[in-house]
Amino acid sequence: MPEWLLKDENYQLLPDRDTFIDKSILSLLRILSRIRAQSGYVGGKHGVHALWKVAGTFLLIVLLSLSRNIWFLAAVGAYLLAALSLMPAERILRILKTGLVISFFSFLILLPSFFMGNRYSLVMIPLKTLATVTAVGILSHTTGWHCVTGALKSFFIPDIFIFVLDITIKYIVLLGELSLDLFYSLKLRSVGKNTGKYSSLSGIAGTLFLRSKEMAEDMYSAMECRGFTGSYRVRRRFRFTAADFLYVMVHAAFIAIFVYLG
Amino acid sequence: MHIPDNYLSPATCAALGAAVVPFWAVSVKKVKKEITRAKMPLLGIGASFSFLMMMFNVPLPGGTTGHAVGGTLLAILLGPFSACISVSVALLIQALFFGDGGILSFGANCFNMAFVLPFVGYFIYKFIRDRVRSEKGEYLGIVIGSYIGINTAALCAAIEFGIQPLLFRDAAGQALYSPYPLSVAIPAMLIPHLLVAGVVEAAFTAAIFAFIKKVSPGTIYKGAKEKSKAVYGLLAALILLTPLGLLATGTAWGEWGADEIGEVVSNGRALGFIPQGMQNGFSFEAMMPDYSVGGIPEVAGYILSAVAGVAVLLIVFKIVSSLKKNNHGVHE
Repeated sequence: MPEWLLKDENYQLLPDRDTFIDKSILSLLRILSRIRAQSGYVGGKHGVHALWKVAGTFLLIVLLSLSRNIWFLAAVGAYLLAALSLMPAERILRILKTGLVISFFSFLILLPSFFMGNRYSLVMIPLKTLATVTAVGILSHTTGWHCVTGALKSFFIPDIFIFVLDITIKYIVLLGELSLDLFYSLKLRSVGKNTGKYSSLSGIAGTLFLRSKEMAEDMYSAMECRGFTGSYRVRRRFRFTAADFLYVMVHAAFIAIFVYLG
Repeated sequence: MHIPDNYLSPATCAALGAAVVPFWAVSVKKVKKEITRAKMPLLGIGASFSFLMMMFNVPLPGGTTGHAVGGTLLAILLGPFSACISVSVALLIQALFFGDGGILSFGANCFNMAFVLPFVGYFIYKFIRDRVRSEKGEYLGIVIGSYIGINTAALCAAIEFGIQPLLFRDAAGQALYSPYPLSVAIPAMLIPHLLVAGVVEAAFTAAIFAFIKKVSPGTIYKGAKEKSKAVYGLLAALILLTPLGLLATGTAWGEWGADEIGEVVSNGRALGFIPQGMQNGFSFEAMMPDYSVGGIPEVAGYILSAVAGVAVLLIVFKIVSSLKKNNHGVHE
């Protein structure tokens, strides 16, 4: 037994500030869990086709933005609440949380304008924001990514954009996991006071970029080997179901209400 | 800088959306010409990279953290056209799936962050790099380019907010969308960006660039030698934009005289309602120096000080680069 092994070690850890690593890890984890949950979404038996959902959500947002009538907002709000009520509790919570946080933030931003004599904005804009964010939330929490990209194809969006969008979503997950690992290892290697942490941050981002470049090249080769030519085709097995009909009718009714209320 | 829905009127959103479409079209064309089909996935991966960059929290003094946008970095690494598409896609995903930035205002957000930011940043970087030929010149270009890039984007966003109360009001004269005029929106957007976000962006961009240059110098985008016309045009446009700050005088509420705008009434925490309508109740206007040169119309004063400021900068760069050439002989 060597001499130095028998000595008592007494190493005091110096406190170190690394909240930024924790914050980065948390925000990455939040994104990843969100995307993972999302990719599992499939429309149920009574699901509305993604094409209608995307179009309907867009229509609602335009009408909300144009409307100056609080009653129109109330009507849309009622519909959104009804749609929410059909969803599982944890998704409802998530959607409402996002919406409430964003609209509260709007409220704070607009508060000074109220004291300047603008009574309209303080009420309308936060409410409109809440409705808009909820509408988008409902769309994104009931529709899988691939369905949304498929719906975009039907709106004559160029292939290159859909291609890029598709890859982006997949790679946010892959690269996100990679950067998570890098952050974990930075955290594990920062024992006691590590003054070199900040330079490691740029190293993480740099490594991420270089790795992503390699991945891009490998992936294209792989896609080409499997016969990908760069064009997307939507297979049209398009059945207009009862749910679709109901959905389209509700949104047609909103146009009518909008015109009626002005 | 992500503008949510309902702050900009649909008309503004449509106009900015229409303004962005040609740039997207040109970018797609350019990218198809510049990078081979085999590099196509790089756009998507670039987009996910920029999306994740916004997740990286950079430590700031005082224990807070901020995050960079990375538009200029992408433009320097992949070229401005690829950056335009990548950032647009990242913004679309944020709007659609994370409620960050609006759907209608997507065009406006793309205009600010996917077009203005990377292009301004890239061309300033290139302009400086081509004139100051040294390692220092390159980093100077990166720092100044990314700093000005993010601040120009913030200025565009502020202008978009600020013109809303001028253009869209109901019969009672209440603003329908963002209620703050230019005189409030510009300082509110620019001060945090000038002081915090711009610094974070510049530091982050330079640090990552340094890392990549050290590890893998071959991956950095080599653009064709650009004419500096673009930069001069940009400078001219910016100079002409400076009097926008004056648009706000008296128009939005009709209760400000042009002579009042310089005076600051710090009643930011005024409780209750000021019957006389508007007084400048924003203490941060105190931080904005008055750019008027005494005795001439204000618009002329703004433009003059802008021209002078730009001229001084150009002169400094010319002197620096001429000193460089004298030191190393002419190697052009």
